[in-house]
Amino acid sequence: MKEKLTKEEVLHVAELARIAVTEEEIKKYQVELKKLLNDVEKINDVKGYDDEILIAPWSNNTELRKDEPREMLDPKKVLENAPRHSGNYIQVPVVIGESEGA
Amino acid sequence: MKYLNQPIEEIHKLLKAKKIKPIDLVEEAFDNIEKSDCNAYITLNKEEALKEAKELESLPVDNILFGLPIAVKDNIVTKNLRTTCASHMLENFIPIYNATVVEKIKEKHMIIIGKTNMDEFAMGSSSRTSYFGAPHNPWNKDKISGGSSGGSASTIAARDVLFALGSDTGGSIRQPASYTGIVGMKPTYGRVSRYGLVAFASSLDQIGPMTKNVYENALLLNAIVGHDEKDLTSAKKEEEDFTKLIGKSIKGKKIAIPNYFVSDIVDDEIIDKIKETEKTLEKLGAKVDYIDMKYLEHAVTLYQIIAMGEASSNLARFDGIRYGHSKENPKDIRDLYFGTRAEGFGKEVKRRIMVGSYLLSGENAREYFYKALSIRDDMKQEFKNVFKDYDYIIGPTTTTTAYLLTDPMDDPSKSFMDDVLVIPVNMAGLPGLNIPIGFDKNHMPIGMQIIANSFEEAKIYSLASALEKELNLDLNPYGGEKNE
Repeated sequence: MKEKLTKEEVLHVAELARIAVTEEEIKKYQVELKKLLNDVEKINDVKGYDDEILIAPWSNNTELRKDEPREMLDPKKVLENAPRHSGNYIQVPVVIGESEGA
Repeated sequence: MKYLNQPIEEIHKLLKAKKIKPIDLVEEAFDNIEKSDCNAYITLNKEEALKEAKELESLPVDNILFGLPIAVKDNIVTKNLRTTCASHMLENFIPIYNATVVEKIKEKHMIIIGKTNMDEFAMGSSSRTSYFGAPHNPWNKDKISGGSSGGSASTIAARDVLFALGSDTGGSIRQPASYTGIVGMKPTYGRVSRYGLVAFASSLDQIGPMTKNVYENALLLNAIVGHDEKDLTSAKKEEEDFTKLIGKSIKGKKIAIPNYFVSDIVDDEIIDKIKETEKTLEKLGAKVDYIDMKYLEHAVTLYQIIAMGEASSNLARFDGIRYGHSKENPKDIRDLYFGTRAEGFGKEVKRRIMVGSYLLSGENAREYFYKALSIRDDMKQEFKNVFKDYDYIIGPTTTTTAYLLTDPMDDPSKSFMDDVLVIPVNMAGLPGLNIPIGFDKNHMPIGMQIIANSFEEAKIYSLASALEKELNLDLNPYGGEKNE
């Protein structure tokens, strides 16, 4: 097994994870992420298991609660935790089209 | 006069007779925390706790937990009380609702004393990934108190308070309990509501009690269990009294020790202590066998895949938009996401999110994640099969005793391997408890894990209490000095 990921591989997983990485971090991740990925490869050593999937270890019959109106969180309180807001809205930078800055 | 070192029934009596007030206990707890100086807390709730204690004076002392201070791990949301998950990302986050467990302890009129230190987002095994610095082990302050519930373990071991809540995704209650010589229970998955527990790996996370002894542990579990319609995975089980089997004979009980749990991955000193304990259990009338179990040696690999995969999905919510840290002056939405997450998360968390994202992407989901889920299901079945013949599975909780805070952190696999003996229980969704069984040559605590079938927590407390009584260990790191 190779010891390091390529720079491109690190940039690919950082892209998937939506995390910005510096040149210095990339060098570290090339080794550290490879170590973890080597670890998870060991799953291929497991033999003789049944190939059926159970998503949760507790296999109870989950039940949805009734769709009834109930007390909601106070929108004003919710907005207080938002880094940028205006009136009853959360502010975000431009999502579609040319970015002009936030 | 000190009260928190007295038996809980005694404290209850004093409260009931109005000889002491809740505020006396709250003041004592804060005094203890200051003297312990173990960095066990991220946020202290002093002003509010004193206010609540005052308010309780007018209420009847209606249950044994009434007026008692409790510490809450900082990944359990508390209304109007900062909840950071030990992360820069949530450094200034003030929740606007309570977790279900918090509502439940408040119903009992327990008083939240503060929010305990932990590994960032519960990812780690030594609490050293905390943005706020690691908590210390009261038995030796140069050593770790384990993780991720390291602050809760530290404050209980130091005898600051009687009760703490922790959470356990891959051993995060039992492992620090072992390192600090306390009792820690991970209940059956579904037993305690996860509503308001900041999600790490949703199919594994479970909240549980951490205390200095078995009886108090069962009392706190009594208070926090129950079906909750706000948690889809919450089990529909009647509430029960988990103290009901405490003090009962364990004569004739059948106990299994998997050979893997006493293999060469475990320090000799710990194996020796387990063998001694085996003799004690036999003396008490139990029958102990060594057995082979499939899949145990693969549990860490399954955990890495499932926990990192689920974490990458759960932590996608931290986007710098709705709450938490946000990058200043982002140039566009991409810069906001990428910059916020780069600034807000620590190293360990970033690594796990990156690997998790990769494991869930495209074909990898089938290659790794689904495969891990299938094997987990088989592993669960393997446990069920053992429980057809045995009442309990036991083994050491950890492979070593607590190590130095200054030990290297550069191996990304290390924090997973610290939990190699406790992870299988999360994989199978079973209840498991750490009970102190002795000390190593440096007088650091050694713990044993007791595992039983789903929803058999009461049975676990029965064995644990029998052992606790028989061993009668002095588990106060200060030898009672602090409280005199």
